[in-house]
Amino acid sequence: MKEIVRLENVWKIYDMGEVKIEALRGITLEIREGEYVIIVGPSGSGKSTLLHILGLLDKPTKGLVLMEGQDTSKMKDKKLAHLRNRKIGFVFQSYNLLPRLSALENVELPMIYAGVPPRKRRKRALELLELVGLGNRIHHRPNQLSGGQQQRVAVARALANDPVFILADEPTGNLDTKSGEELLKLFRKLHEMGKTLVVVTHNLEIVSEGTRVIRIKDGMIESVERRGA
Amino acid sequence: MEILKEVTRSLLSNKVRTFLSMLGIVIGVTAVIMVMSLGAGMKESVTKRLTSLGSNIILVMPGIVGGSGGKIAQALESLQEEDVKDIESMCPSVKKAIGLITGNFLIQHRDKNTRASVYAAPSGIFQILNLKISSGRSFSEDEEEKNVAIIGQEIAYNLFEDENPLGKKIYIVQGGRKLIFEIIGVFAKTGNILMLNPDNLILIPYNTGKYKLFQSHKNVSMILASSFSPEAAESAVMEIDHLLYNKFHQQENYYRIISQEAILNVVSESVSIMNLVLLSIAAVSLVVGGIGIMNIMLVSVVERTREIGIKMAIGASRTRIMIEFLVESIMITFLAGAIGILLGILGSNTIVSAFGKAYGLKPVINPLSLLVAFGVSASVGLFFGLYPAYRASKLSPIEALRYE
Repeated sequence: MKEIVRLENVWKIYDMGEVKIEALRGITLEIREGEYVIIVGPSGSGKSTLLHILGLLDKPTKGLVLMEGQDTSKMKDKKLAHLRNRKIGFVFQSYNLLPRLSALENVELPMIYAGVPPRKRRKRALELLELVGLGNRIHHRPNQLSGGQQQRVAVARALANDPVFILADEPTGNLDTKSGEELLKLFRKLHEMGKTLVVVTHNLEIVSEGTRVIRIKDGMIESVERRGA
Repeated sequence: MEILKEVTRSLLSNKVRTFLSMLGIVIGVTAVIMVMSLGAGMKESVTKRLTSLGSNIILVMPGIVGGSGGKIAQALESLQEEDVKDIESMCPSVKKAIGLITGNFLIQHRDKNTRASVYAAPSGIFQILNLKISSGRSFSEDEEEKNVAIIGQEIAYNLFEDENPLGKKIYIVQGGRKLIFEIIGVFAKTGNILMLNPDNLILIPYNTGKYKLFQSHKNVSMILASSFSPEAAESAVMEIDHLLYNKFHQQENYYRIISQEAILNVVSESVSIMNLVLLSIAAVSLVVGGIGIMNIMLVSVVERTREIGIKMAIGASRTRIMIEFLVESIMITFLAGAIGILLGILGSNTIVSAFGKAYGLKPVINPLSLLVAFGVSASVGLFFGLYPAYRASKLSPIEALRYE
């Protein structure tokens, strides 16, 4: 399978003046097309930092981040924004939808940044909302939707520009059990459709879903567990 | 397009704040428009008034001497008929010159009487001054020695009230003598212009006045001249000055030269200065308004920190974020400019209809000034929106996403 993202000996050190905090200490990993990777670890393990680096929101202090083989360390903001827009779909713990926009408009937003023409954009957004089971809620604002529904809108938004992988940060963290299960079902469906998923979590229930589980501790990879399928 | 839509939405979602942040600019632009339109209107109405008697007019008056050391100030009888001829023939910029003999007399009609300025002038006066006659006619060259008169509205009212004065006889009382004149015309109502008030004026032919009424020999009370064009006015004045200066043996206080052009220049200059002062005050309000906008936009950046983070995460570049905020502040000020222009037009019209009618004041709205107002308010938005927009674009996406 094709390699999508590759981290090579990635360090992240926060310089807090007198103390230096080493959030990541030499992480090397690669994510391949069609994988469903779960990254778990206790809080403070460097999970979030890893997620930000994988999502090109932050740069490592040392080491390389290769996105489809391209070194991202020297890229300018515009190029990084472009990559985030086209290659990565974010799903956050707290949904992070724009409150003023309807579900449909939220899903359209990444396509606006990508310069997709309006008609095509709308069609695609409608298809995606249909896919996540919200075809009848397209004009609702986030505050008119339940948490589970908002998170599904967020997934539809993540899929908007057909990214090479979806990066989810504690996606079930704010959801009740039932909504959480529905979201996992949706993720499974996406995985079956051939999407690549990277989920950062400490929810052990998700662990059983992935094809690979990476455990992080103290900024290092503690163990990698490959699973069938 | 998308940015405009997005910005409109964010402005509409906070109507009260948007409105309040606009206020400063609205007031500033309103003030600018009002100052500009009223200023231009004032200039126009003053000019119109000053030129209503004709253009390119030059007045030569005798000098005033005395006034100190117990002597009563008195106008000299310095100007003479030959000066008139010389001015007309020897000053190349002067198109026409006439002499006038003036005096103040008691005027009688039946049992009524009044006082009026009597001007004796050749019929050429009508070529220099645009004296409008509301009824009757003016006199011609063949009537230079006839006892005919054209009277002003005020005199007509004082002597005849509602009766038609045309064809009626009046007496001009000179010492013990009474001279009878037939009224052949009445001036239209004009008001006082350039030291001349046609409303309280009786105009009679020059020779009639010279020989019968004033019995003067060669003296004239003043000389009225016109230049070929407004541009020639200045050189005409210089030529006349040069001529008279030599004639009066370099006694420059023997005469005074007043040109309409000079008065117009002074008027338009003072109006311009006043406008400039008022405009600078209005500009302060624009700056204050701009600072208000900057303030609101900075608050807005903080408020929308999380939103900015989300947008960056899903692919908005820093430039895009910056443009969104800039467009927002420009839109606020642009809208404020539009409202200000409307209010300014409305305001100046209101002021004019409340106070200005009597003075013939009309607001003059120059399309250029509207353009300038729009341009200035949009630039205020750009200038004061720059810093907040820059701040927004420099947010770290991670920090922004973490922001609650």
